[in-house]
Amino acid sequence: MPPMRIRLDPWPVDIEGGQLGLQHFEGDLIDIETPRWAAVAAKPIPGRLHTVHVVDGKRRMESRVFIEDESGEAGMGGFGAYVVGAVRMCPHGSRPAELTDVRARRLLAHAPGLRVDPYRLSPRDPHTGTLQYTPIVTESADPLAPLHKLQQVMLAEEQNLSHGLASQVPFSEEDDREALTSLTIQDGTLRSKNLGGAVVGCVKTMQTQYLPADRASLLSELRPGERTPILHMKYANSPYTRFIWYVRLCEAAFYQHPMSGVMRLEMYAPDEPDFLPPIVREVANVSGNLLCRLASRAHKDPRAPQNLIPTAALESAMTRAMGSADLVTRRLRAHIARELGVVA
Amino acid sequence: MTLDGERLGRVLGTEDVTPTVFWFAVAPGASVGLDDLVVVRTLKPDGREVRFYGLVDNVRKRHEGVTFESDVEDVVAGVLPASVSYAARVLVTRVDPEHFIPPQPGDEVRHAHGSDLDMALSADKMKEAAFPAGLLADGQPLPLNFRFVNGESGGHINISGISGVATKTSYALFLLHSIFRSGVMDRVARAGGGHTAGTAGGKAIIFNVKGEDLLFLDQPNGKVQEREAEAQVAKGLDADRYTLLGLPMSPFRDTQFLAPPRPGASGNAIVPHTDQRAQGVTPFVFTLREFCERRMLPYVFSDAGASLNLSFVIGNIEEKLARLAAEGEGAALLVADWDPEGDGELPDGITFDALGKTRLETFDQLLSYVEYKLLEEGDGEGDPKWVLKQSPGTLRAFIRRLRGVQKHLSPLVRGDLSEAQARQYRPNLLGGAQLSVVDIHNLSGPAQMFVVGVLLREVFEHKEKYGRQNTVFVVLDELNKYAPRDEGSPIKDVLLEIAERGRSLGIILIGAQQTASEVERRIVSNAAIRVVGRLDLAEAERPEYRFLPQSFRARAGILQPGTMLVSQPDVPNPVLVSYPFPAWATRRDEVAEEVGQSVEEVGEDWLGL
Repeated sequence: MPPMRIRLDPWPVDIEGGQLGLQHFEGDLIDIETPRWAAVAAKPIPGRLHTVHVVDGKRRMESRVFIEDESGEAGMGGFGAYVVGAVRMCPHGSRPAELTDVRARRLLAHAPGLRVDPYRLSPRDPHTGTLQYTPIVTESADPLAPLHKLQQVMLAEEQNLSHGLASQVPFSEEDDREALTSLTIQDGTLRSKNLGGAVVGCVKTMQTQYLPADRASLLSELRPGERTPILHMKYANSPYTRFIWYVRLCEAAFYQHPMSGVMRLEMYAPDEPDFLPPIVREVANVSGNLLCRLASRAHKDPRAPQNLIPTAALESAMTRAMGSADLVTRRLRAHIARELGVVA
Repeated sequence: MTLDGERLGRVLGTEDVTPTVFWFAVAPGASVGLDDLVVVRTLKPDGREVRFYGLVDNVRKRHEGVTFESDVEDVVAGVLPASVSYAARVLVTRVDPEHFIPPQPGDEVRHAHGSDLDMALSADKMKEAAFPAGLLADGQPLPLNFRFVNGESGGHINISGISGVATKTSYALFLLHSIFRSGVMDRVARAGGGHTAGTAGGKAIIFNVKGEDLLFLDQPNGKVQEREAEAQVAKGLDADRYTLLGLPMSPFRDTQFLAPPRPGASGNAIVPHTDQRAQGVTPFVFTLREFCERRMLPYVFSDAGASLNLSFVIGNIEEKLARLAAEGEGAALLVADWDPEGDGELPDGITFDALGKTRLETFDQLLSYVEYKLLEEGDGEGDPKWVLKQSPGTLRAFIRRLRGVQKHLSPLVRGDLSEAQARQYRPNLLGGAQLSVVDIHNLSGPAQMFVVGVLLREVFEHKEKYGRQNTVFVVLDELNKYAPRDEGSPIKDVLLEIAERGRSLGIILIGAQQTASEVERRIVSNAAIRVVGRLDLAEAERPEYRFLPQSFRARAGILQPGTMLVSQPDVPNPVLVSYPFPAWATRRDEVAEEVGQSVEEVGEDWLGL
């Protein structure tokens, strides 16, 4: 019997779930790239890939509300803000990275059957701008429905942004092969349906161990920049299929689990597990070099190296774009006070 | 009313905004540097507007949204998005109307131009009294209020800075050029109803204390065209700096150059003691009689204040000599009571007049006579009327000091001049040319002190008699030597008189020194206009420079030749100016060849105009 061993999860305890969950995976996994299960070395980033976008989204519920409309109908709702945005950068470092499309939008999500007008909070001070809430109806009257609606809208926007920025992936062999010139890295797993762009999802945490035990040991052996071969994956209970592969971003420290520093990458895959688009293979080949460049350092980010440098910058820019939650709440309160004729 | 200058940015809300100091974020594409003049318009809740005029005294850039210093590598590598935040701090020079509210964060900051610039620098208050004191960083002229120069509201200019790199004298000359040639004196005279004479009556006296730099002020500078063309390109100006300032690019007119006589010159000849320029320099000497009659003796002693007894002796002898000089005429002094028969030690060369009086023709002889009266007459007792019961020790100290300077003053104070010579070589500072350069650099220290003291007192006494209608500018470098902070001297007394009362008499002191902290405080503090060139940083922290805000004191350590910080009462903050390369030669090799001169100038030279 091997002796008992304890190693640390790399992420701080106050981050829910940790980096390594390792539940068992129920679904299909097919070798699509090669049947030979061994580390694949990273390839240099081709010169024609001139733009990489890192995309993320964020949302915030600012206030739950109770709405009574002019016809006397009443229901639940919520003031919410969301923002999606991207960092545009050159993978060869030939120009400064820049933030694009980081702009907060505000929603007044409300239960169905209410007549709600756009809600405009005019500034008390001429230099602080107005806040404009667009009404949007939720699917149900459930108290959590506004939050879900907000999340839904944000994810849809995020996906539109991701695919709009990336090269197209041809999904049949007859297509002219579009070159990989623009790639989007999207934070987190890929959701909803494929829109055809070269979008790669970066999953920071390993909640599920997709690989069988005999294959999982390769994850511990990968060296920084190396990846596993690409697999075709289909969830048991979900219609969406993915290509997945793992990349190691840095060496694990001796006190950490040997799988720490390993990240799962996803790309949309056609349902039929018989075709690997060349762009996907190309993305997988450059992913090691690209992500090692973008990996954060432990002393700067508690979720290093998986929380990428551009992502962290984007997150803080998005938080800033939504404005201070306290101030927004205060302005909502002051606005309502004025509407009700209460002297604040 | 809107602001017409180019938009530079918006007032920052992340730093405190106060009515006197605020920061603004520089808009992308704009460039803001130190000394730029800006204007901000803010609206009060009642809709009335308040404008803030100020000057940028600090600018900074940093990466925004970046936490770690090592992130700069990621930013440059194109991995981490970061923007550069560019902010500038403004020192407010004026608020109009005077409602001292802070501007609003987010208010637009614009470049001050035209009428805004006039407001920022209070030129609207100066009106006809404004004259250019140099160019601002953006190529606009800085107006200086002549009423704070000519004594009307204030007077005197003080310039501080390290020798060589601060170019104090150059700036003083530039100011004189600007005063005389911008027409400000005439404008102010007209506006004042003709009580002052304007440029025609204005005079300037410059004491040249080092090199023969100032002996070519009437000659065009051969390099000025080239240097100004270079500066125009380097600073991106629309025209050369003289044109921008509205001043002629020409040397000084109506000048005279005075120099002491060369010591030991052969025979009776009196030739000026200059090495580079022989033509057009007039030697100056004082006659022995003048020396006594006009009571110049105290100026021989630069440290007379050190001992009370000594001052008493000096005062007494001064009085005695003045009485002696009151009788007789001519350059020499006649004394009846120096009995050569009774004393065998009479120096050589003594002559006697028809009545048997001894004729003193040299400074040495005068000293011998005084020595005789104090220490030798009556078997070493001295003449009791001269001695006045002073102890022999004090008397000997007096004589010793006189003997100490004898060699230096002998060429300057002479009794062997004819009536005509005496008239010809008398320094005439106020009756002659508009600009008089008194070259004293070849004189020894005590002789320099003597000349400066005597001439300044003369000017002062003249102005006391005739009043202020003709302004006299006196340019004197090394004030710390003539009016040191700690010691007293007759020259310091004259300078103090000028500093404190001169402005009401129309004598304006344009003084300069390396270190203001070593100059008599009352002289520096009486100057309405203060100018600072390159300073030693330790010196810049002394209380004399408190008029400079902290950021300017640090700046003073890195100023280049040709730039000065100018502080005037109308503008609460000093302003950095650059001033043009001299249009007059400051060395012999700068004198333009005749081919470079205009036909008129060559003609004038020919005609001796």
